[in-house]
Amino acid sequence: MSEGHGGGHGPELVPLLKTALPFLNAIPDTVIYTWFVMAFIIGVAMAASKKMEMVPRGWQNIMEMAVDGLSKLVEGTLGPKSKKVIPLVITFFIFILCSNYSGIIPTFKPPTGDLNTPVALALVVFFTIHIVGMSERGIFGYWKHFLEPFPFMLPLNIIEEAAKPVSLSLRLFGNVMGEHVVVAVLFMLVPYFVPVPMQMFGLFTGTIQAFVFTILTVAYLSNVMGEHH
Amino acid sequence: MELVNAASVLAAGLAIGLGAIGPGIGQGTTAGKALEGIARQPENSGDIKTTMILGMAIMESLAIYALVIALILLYANPYKG
Repeated sequence: MSEGHGGGHGPELVPLLKTALPFLNAIPDTVIYTWFVMAFIIGVAMAASKKMEMVPRGWQNIMEMAVDGLSKLVEGTLGPKSKKVIPLVITFFIFILCSNYSGIIPTFKPPTGDLNTPVALALVVFFTIHIVGMSERGIFGYWKHFLEPFPFMLPLNIIEEAAKPVSLSLRLFGNVMGEHVVVAVLFMLVPYFVPVPMQMFGLFTGTIQAFVFTILTVAYLSNVMGEHH
Repeated sequence: MELVNAASVLAAGLAIGLGAIGPGIGQGTTAGKALEGIARQPENSGDIKTTMILGMAIMESLAIYALVIALILLYANPYKG
């Protein structure tokens, strides 16, 4: 799937990098794009936390605003028990947001536009749900809820659980990839100015998708963390 | 082989075109109802907005499945020898 699309999208960074540095050839392109995103996030986090002050300025201000707003949102759904999942959820949000936004940098391909990245994220969410559920209700108490309300609902409950990572990953992948393909097609047709509104729309959907991934993770977690019903 | 190519392109168009109808209607209804709710009770707009986005995302995944099928037919078609 990596060839065929993006024909008119201009040169790409990683293939150029690979011709310059041949030892990178063994590493998939997506991993290298992910390294760039990681470097950006780590850089911002270090800039924000190097000289922490009581009255925040600059990067620290921005990061505190983001972390504060997101923790409030998660706490509003999960209540006081949210402390142990907040770091995971906010990391997901920041990483997905930065990956989606990296698509508008020329020569960049967003890491979330490759099916492997969303599947990895969704699998982490999948296992987190079950582990948190087991630690909240005990192993027996957690698996018992698959037999509720009636034992013959077991197959339906299992399908419901299996559909979670599939829909999470395909939604993120489809949105980012679809936007990327539309922009590539527009670039092929009209190389100047016309793709810009579509790229703006891509920023909007990128934000919404990062938010949706986070909110759905929180909703699934609140299912298993909430009271037994 | 030409037949497979032509059928794939046609099927991709049909998949995304037909697949977008249902979610489109559903999301329109959702947005309309959410607006009504916000107009009636503006103080609840935060909750309504979050729930609306959540519901819309779940609807949208149906359209996204259609899109994924269309992309597979166009770029990773298993039958295109």
